[in-house]
Amino acid sequence: MTPKPHSALIIVGHGSTTNPDSSTPSFEHAESLVRRGLFGDVQCVFWKEEPSMRQALHLVDQDDIYIVPNFISEGYFTRTVIPRELELTGPLTQRAGRTLKYCEPVGNHERMTELLLRRAAEVAPGVDPQKTSLLIVGHGTNLNDNSAFAAKREVDRIAASGIYAQVLSTFMEEEPLIAKWDELTTQPNVVVVPFFISDGLHSYQDIPVLLGIEQEPTAAASQRSVFRDNPRHMRGRTLYYASAVGTEPLFAEVILDQITAFDLAHPALP
Amino acid sequence: MKRDLTQALARWISQGRRQIGEVLFLPTDHGFLVHHHLDSPSADLEPHTDPNAARRIAVADASGEFRPIKTTPNLRRGWLLKLPDITALRTALEALYPAMLGSFLSFERGELPGVHLRETVGRQSGMYAITKKVTDNQALAVIARNCNSEHGCLKAHLWQIDPTTPVSSLPASKTDPSIPQLPGSAPFLPLLCAEACNLLVAKFREEIKKTPYTPPPADAAPTAAPPHP
Ligand code: SF4
Repeated sequence: MTPKPHSALIIVGHGSTTNPDSSTPSFEHAESLVRRGLFGDVQCVFWKEEPSMRQALHLVDQDDIYIVPNFISEGYFTRTVIPRELELTGPLTQRAGRTLKYCEPVGNHERMTELLLRRAAEVAPGVDPQKTSLLIVGHGTNLNDNSAFAAKREVDRIAASGIYAQVLSTFMEEEPLIAKWDELTTQPNVVVVPFFISDGLHSYQDIPVLLGIEQEPTAAASQRSVFRDNPRHMRGRTLYYASAVGTEPLFAEVILDQITAFDLAHPALP
Repeated sequence: MKRDLTQALARWISQGRRQIGEVLFLPTDHGFLVHHHLDSPSADLEPHTDPNAARRIAVADASGEFRPIKTTPNLRRGWLLKLPDITALRTALEALYPAMLGSFLSFERGELPGVHLRETVGRQSGMYAITKKVTDNQALAVIARNCNSEHGCLKAHLWQIDPTTPVSSLPASKTDPSIPQLPGSAPFLPLLCAEACNLLVAKFREEIKKTPYTPPPADAAPTAAPPHP
């Protein structure tokens, strides 16, 4: 990407009032993009943490501002909350001498498939994908987003590549249930990748309990250590459990890709 | 005029401002020293030279509790940032007090209008739509509990309940950016709250949900359902 020293990038995340790991990936992607020196400024804003979306325009000096939602899919936040809080009128908003360029959420980009594959390969190094079932876990039954749809789309793409012997989308709260992972899979190796933007209760506690690798939510399960005990031999399989795809450092690249995509879709702009 | 926050910070420093919230920032021959106002830079403090360390310092209080609001007066002590230049200082102060430098610059430029509470709750949707129903009395109590400068939040309010209803449950000094919310501060950069934060809005929701529902008197017109099941 050509440097944009006169533009600012604002990454919008959900954040949390209880869990610091919710905003960590957004901050880490921002830090890595600052080091690349591509923008005049790179900042993060959140719905439930500081700095807030309402403070976004006070953070940056630049008049040309790209806004990229660090969300796994389109949905209530990208369509309702972010536009309202940032007072956006569409993909392009001109206000008080500033141009706000509202990009697509990171999870919508087609490179998400590559990131899921990368995360799956990292967690099970040297394991033959042709003897492996890959499970992508989404939330499901969440009226706030289309993450279930997005997870199924990714699974279709990965399946079409033929890399893994079996690929399935599974959910915490709807069929096919991740809790039935051993019944759903056909291969000796099972790789589970949470389709979430950050680690938190779901990836630390809920999914490990559903997988049966933790009995009950415990203090230990709330730590990142839950990802370190790979592989686990259980239910006659070898199970590999990855951390949320959004913690993958390459996510920063996809943020840039969404900016390039915005510029391509709006070529008349400076 | 074009915004330049780094230049504004340099100007504020040349005016003699040395404190923001619980943090002191001191110019030296080699850049800046930043530390908790109750610590002395000569003490045995954990040193950092990366301004991004400030974000990790501000994440949790001394007991390890996450700090969703960074202006809560519970910043942990025992660290010292040695920063080479004003750019690094800006990064560190922005991490310790997110959006506060920029808010003050906007305030100086007349670009930080306060948004009254009725407007903030009025635009909420989804699970927070219920906060439209917060009564003035409920709001005043929740604000006093969460925004008070003693242990809640060190920002000065630029907003009221509505244009004619002040937040009477907090002292008048809460709305004066020229008064330090932390007594005994050195010349300081004010922390400004232009409108109720999401955490406060969430507290309104909790308050409304826990208030028992009183059915309307028997002779009142029947209503469809309790407003908050
Ligand atoms: S509403 Fe403002 S003053 Fe109150 S807690 Fe939130 S940020 Fe602090």
